[in-house]
Amino acid sequence: MYEYEGEDVFVIDSHLHLWDATEENIVHEGGEQFIQCFYDYHTAFTPEEKQWSLEEYRKYGADRMKQDLFGNAAVDMGIFQPTYLTDFYDEGFNTAEQNAELAEEYPERFVLNGTFDPRDGEEGLEYLEELNDKYDLQGVKLYTAEWRGDSKGWRLDSEESFKFLEKCAELGIRNIHPHKGPTIRPLNRDAFDVADVDDAATSFPELNFVVEHVGLPRLDDFCWIAAQEPNVYGGLAVAAPMAVHRPRKFGEIMGELLFWLGEDRLLFGSDYALWNPDWLVDVVMNAELTDEQRDEYGVELDLETKKKIMGENAAELYDIDIEAKKEEFESDDVTEEFGLADHYAGSSAAPADD
Amino acid sequence: MAVDSRGGDGRVTEAAVRERLDRVTDPELDTSIVELEYIDEIRIDGDEVDVAMTLPTAWCSPAFAWMMTTDARDEVEALPDVDRARIDLREHMHEREINRGVNERLSFGEAFPDADGSVEPVRAELDEKARIARQHDATGALLDAGLDGGQIVALTRADLDLDLDGDDDARVWVRDGGLAVTVDADPLERYLEKAEATGLLDDDHPELFRTPEGEPIDPDQFETVRHRTRLAGVNMSGQGSVCDALHESRRAEDRPPLSMRSD
Repeated sequence: MYEYEGEDVFVIDSHLHLWDATEENIVHEGGEQFIQCFYDYHTAFTPEEKQWSLEEYRKYGADRMKQDLFGNAAVDMGIFQPTYLTDFYDEGFNTAEQNAELAEEYPERFVLNGTFDPRDGEEGLEYLEELNDKYDLQGVKLYTAEWRGDSKGWRLDSEESFKFLEKCAELGIRNIHPHKGPTIRPLNRDAFDVADVDDAATSFPELNFVVEHVGLPRLDDFCWIAAQEPNVYGGLAVAAPMAVHRPRKFGEIMGELLFWLGEDRLLFGSDYALWNPDWLVDVVMNAELTDEQRDEYGVELDLETKKKIMGENAAELYDIDIEAKKEEFESDDVTEEFGLADHYAGSSAAPADD
Repeated sequence: MAVDSRGGDGRVTEAAVRERLDRVTDPELDTSIVELEYIDEIRIDGDEVDVAMTLPTAWCSPAFAWMMTTDARDEVEALPDVDRARIDLREHMHEREINRGVNERLSFGEAFPDADGSVEPVRAELDEKARIARQHDATGALLDAGLDGGQIVALTRADLDLDLDGDDDARVWVRDGGLAVTVDADPLERYLEKAEATGLLDDDHPELFRTPEGEPIDPDQFETVRHRTRLAGVNMSGQGSVCDALHESRRAEDRPPLSMRSD
């Protein structure tokens, strides 16, 4: 567990992948462009001494991932968000099945999300049910810019999409995570436009829409939609690492998000392996607003707010009892493997001795 | 201030070319391409000018790259002594299509037969965002000058005097022309430029400032609209930071070569 000035902060990294972008798995030029583009983002927002090589970056495997999440106790739990891209990658880039390798080994530590693609029609609905039967889904990650044959994307507010959202509601899959953010080569910029979240969120008040990457470069559209739709949340993947080299800009973006959405609707995510939580959690926990930003926005990015963003808000969406988890993690497999018992032993869940 | 485009005898100077290029913005960031350091090289040969430029990422939207390169060409050719400007876009996934299209004066649709839309709606959307962000600076300057929200939302184009002799200030008339307030002209001029580009001043409403949707602002909404215009600016500069960081990492020395394999 991360410790900040003597206080425990339970971290749920809400955006994780276990991907495979090896050359053997790439079946389309887009697959190579995609991983190189990811690598641009990685190097742009990672401290130089923490940068990976492109080769390491293509496929890192479950062991390294485990080490990166839990090795220095940066993360307590994680949520897997799949990205299929099966037109680009033979076995898929990062499917629910691939993520399950780690998620099923440590079910107490991970939440495994599924996905759907309305262009798959009936077969897609069956696949969603199958994933739900297998993994008891609480959420889905959606990639509206994914290519499928001639199609360069789909809309969340389309009739076909609504059939899938209805199915989610019926199956109790409450958390919908559309990627609405930076354009990733070679995908179409407009397919990442956040506008289609508006109608979907209004039409399905029983579902939560966690907009990954807070809509950047359309932060303005995202905040305005979220200000009106109480079931719209912001996933901070991509925004978070701006705290490294551009702390002032990060403060400004956090100021806007806290102003428009408030502290209860923002979720931390590293987007691993885009960035590595073993340093990113520390950077975000130490980020501060300037006095000027505090005055301008009338908000605080204090410890209470950070605790919500780093874990409590995700716990709320995914029915995670943090205190019970702390007790459980005093002696689970991950704690044994990485010697983390001390991190959980002194947790506030335990009554004081005296 | 504009630099004289003539070096005395019809000669084109680099300063004059740079001054024209400074008027071209990265449409997503609403910042000059000169300020953003996209210009690599300017070569002048008589009345012909070659401009080489590189964008922050090789995969910067082709529509954005198209806007910047065609705008750069047209701005440089607006100099009276320039007969022809040629653009050399470098390190872009579509540099071939773009350079050919811009220099052979094709339309975007001719340069990119597979594109699923034209450039104009993209430009209009980004102009609109720039208009909103610039409104924040303009109304901020008016607030600093002592106007209140009610006065600001009622202003029309006729209430502004921008062309004061040899001065960087503008005069703004309030209370039915009964009182003039002096304000820095620059944010107002920048706002007007985008208000004109978006056709906002040609509609049925006389009001100068609008909601992001283009409607006149109810005085009660003034604060909310201020917050929304602030947000538009933060979005643009936030995206600017992303581009800037990508730009730096792409230029790092040990960077693996970009995949340019074409099918």
